[in-house]
Amino acid sequence: MSSEGGRAWNRREFMGAAALLAMVVGVPAGASIWSKVEDGDAPTDRQRAMIREVAQIVIPKTGTPGAGEVGTGDFVILALAHGLDGTRDPGAAAAIPAGVPAPRRPDGSLRYLDWLEGELDRRAKGNWAGKDAAAKTAALAALDAEAYAGDGRAPHPWKAIKGLILTGYYTSEVGGSQELRYEPVPGRFDPALPNPPGTRAISNDWTAVDFG
Amino acid sequence: MSEFDFDAIVVGSGITGGWAAKELTEAGLKVLMLERGRMIEHQTGYGNETKAPWEMPFRGVGDADLYAREYQVQVRNRHFNEFTQDHFVNDAVNPYVNAPGTDFTWYRSYQLGGRSLTWGRQSYRWSDYDFGANKRDGQGTDWPIRYADVAPWYDKVEDFIGVSGAAEGLPQLPDGKFQPPMALNVVEQATREKIMARWPERRLTIGRTANLTVAKDEEGRAACQNRSICARGCSYGAYFSTQSSTLPAAQKTGRLTLMTDAVVEKVDYDPRTRRVTGVRWIDTATKTRKAATARMVFLNAGSFNSVHLMLNSASEAMPRGLANSSGVLGTHIMDHASTLSAIALMPGYEGYTTFGNRPTGVVIPRFRNMDALDGKGHSRGFSYQGGALQSGWTRGKREAGIGADYKNGLQAPGPWRMVLVAFADCVPRATNRLTLSRTKADANGLPALEIAFAFGAEEKAALADAKAEAAAMLTHAGGQVIMGLDTPNPGGGAIHEMGGARMGLDPKTSVLDRFSRAHDAGNLFVTDGAQMSSSACQNPSLTYMALTARAAAHAVERLKAGAL
Repeated sequence: MSSEGGRAWNRREFMGAAALLAMVVGVPAGASIWSKVEDGDAPTDRQRAMIREVAQIVIPKTGTPGAGEVGTGDFVILALAHGLDGTRDPGAAAAIPAGVPAPRRPDGSLRYLDWLEGELDRRAKGNWAGKDAAAKTAALAALDAEAYAGDGRAPHPWKAIKGLILTGYYTSEVGGSQELRYEPVPGRFDPALPNPPGTRAISNDWTAVDFG
Repeated sequence: MSEFDFDAIVVGSGITGGWAAKELTEAGLKVLMLERGRMIEHQTGYGNETKAPWEMPFRGVGDADLYAREYQVQVRNRHFNEFTQDHFVNDAVNPYVNAPGTDFTWYRSYQLGGRSLTWGRQSYRWSDYDFGANKRDGQGTDWPIRYADVAPWYDKVEDFIGVSGAAEGLPQLPDGKFQPPMALNVVEQATREKIMARWPERRLTIGRTANLTVAKDEEGRAACQNRSICARGCSYGAYFSTQSSTLPAAQKTGRLTLMTDAVVEKVDYDPRTRRVTGVRWIDTATKTRKAATARMVFLNAGSFNSVHLMLNSASEAMPRGLANSSGVLGTHIMDHASTLSAIALMPGYEGYTTFGNRPTGVVIPRFRNMDALDGKGHSRGFSYQGGALQSGWTRGKREAGIGADYKNGLQAPGPWRMVLVAFADCVPRATNRLTLSRTKADANGLPALEIAFAFGAEEKAALADAKAEAAAMLTHAGGQVIMGLDTPNPGGGAIHEMGGARMGLDPKTSVLDRFSRAHDAGNLFVTDGAQMSSSACQNPSLTYMALTARAAAHAVERLKAGAL
């Protein structure tokens, strides 16, 4: 049951922690969904802390809270466990360079958190979580730049994780209604408004979400 | 007391079933409407309508693991997500069979209202280019009707359901009785003008959509709030659905009996009278079998399910299926060949944005093969739907970057882009057909439906033409095309499946007559998409509704004349 950096969570503990998290960050009625994270996909303590911090570095606190602060790390864990954005596709590991570990599930899909943990430690030449903020950010920035190199179209495991961080953040109440605008009942359609600097986009512009 | 339980039985409660029930009850008939799925009450039944993403377990995206196991087909529908998943069937529970070589995506909604809850609401008249298409190029069988036969019924339907749109005076897309149009956005308006300047016969116009721009207070329907979450159900009643529109009208008469959880397994036929006598169904709530008799039966189960029911209603007198003396029942099924013809970046409009989620896109009506045959390897038409939009936060998934600058960059509306999706006429072919599976049963133990379907050279040629023309138009309008496709989406992708019980002049080569009535059974009407003899390239639902109202009027006339 043990793995590097801490023991694996069992489902009951994970649900308990999630319920606590829900109370802290105001995620409503969310606790039941954690029952859907199978034991094999439950993160270690270290991984859970890592993905929270990674989310916070990608979307940091500015005038509004960052992604880690609003529970995006746990959303990413849930999303990966359920294969959102195609993350159960067995093909994902193919994008990992030869010689770099690509931990997989029995169905061939990549264990993204295991991969990211190893990847960040590799780039940090040691314990990424123990480095200072600048070093952690630098390692992540290098990974991001590499993933989007060239025309940026090639698949890469980091893109999948970053995509889920964005989904988690901009569909959270803070990301969706404070960082961006949430307009559930516009009541009208204005076809040509000025778009001065500082205009905040609408998070529930569903056409943009689908096709943007 | 009548020897029949009802004057009419309507099988299905979707777009056409609701219309049949409304028209027949308003004419004074006592009607039973049977719906295979569950009850969904207007307003109170739309459980996810007002939820925010953060109130959903999977933030509105949905549980991909569940979808991979139980919604393998439905998940491919653009309108399927965590908010709407309960308005689509569970594929694992409701199997069908794709014949070898077929990849048909059959999108279904088994509930009160059927797909009227989830439809795209685009409402277009067909023209004589469409009703005359089969005769003109010799493919399929000639329609026994023309535009003039349907026009007054289009008027009636548009007036009742409420269709917003702009009159353009185009012969290939006749104008209707429109509510005021929704507005083109700034990029669409400029693109319209540039296309018209270069190609006067091409007209980018706002989608004609069954969303109210003016409230219909007398029917308890409010104007559209520009939320664009229609498929969740709309408590405002602002788009046409059975629940918002036809069902209240039918119920108001006091002559409608509605039963949900009623899967019809057979239509009974009396060879002595050459009439259908009623239907039998499984009450899935109580797991019991029930039956009722009626003077007439309207099949409105959805194109493929109506055909499925007719095939399953084979009898000693009609061993190949109900009303299938011609042998063409199940054949000549169609769906529009559709694909994403172009996406273009539209620079120059950075100073503009919009407010509100307009629930329709734009349309560029057909311009090929009208008075001159100018298709490139195809003899019919294609049209486009799409629109201009500003990228949102999801663009960040394609962009390098982390940190505050990256976050701040995603706060603003993104670049404008324009999308054009082509819908091409589908040629009616005998080889595209529905049969009963010999190996697989459906959820109720009946033979499952098997679908054999493939697009041919005509559709592929049309989509190649459409791709080239989309690129030409958007480039001319100042766009930078970044991608375009000319391969059709799998059959069913347009969600315009139709045919299988086609209308025609000759009982030897068609199933239905000019009033959607079976040649072989004078009191059986099939008024959903199954009746279609060609596909046009416009969305077909408005035509289904018009033909349903027309058939109902004819049925009532015959009933009053004592002919039924």
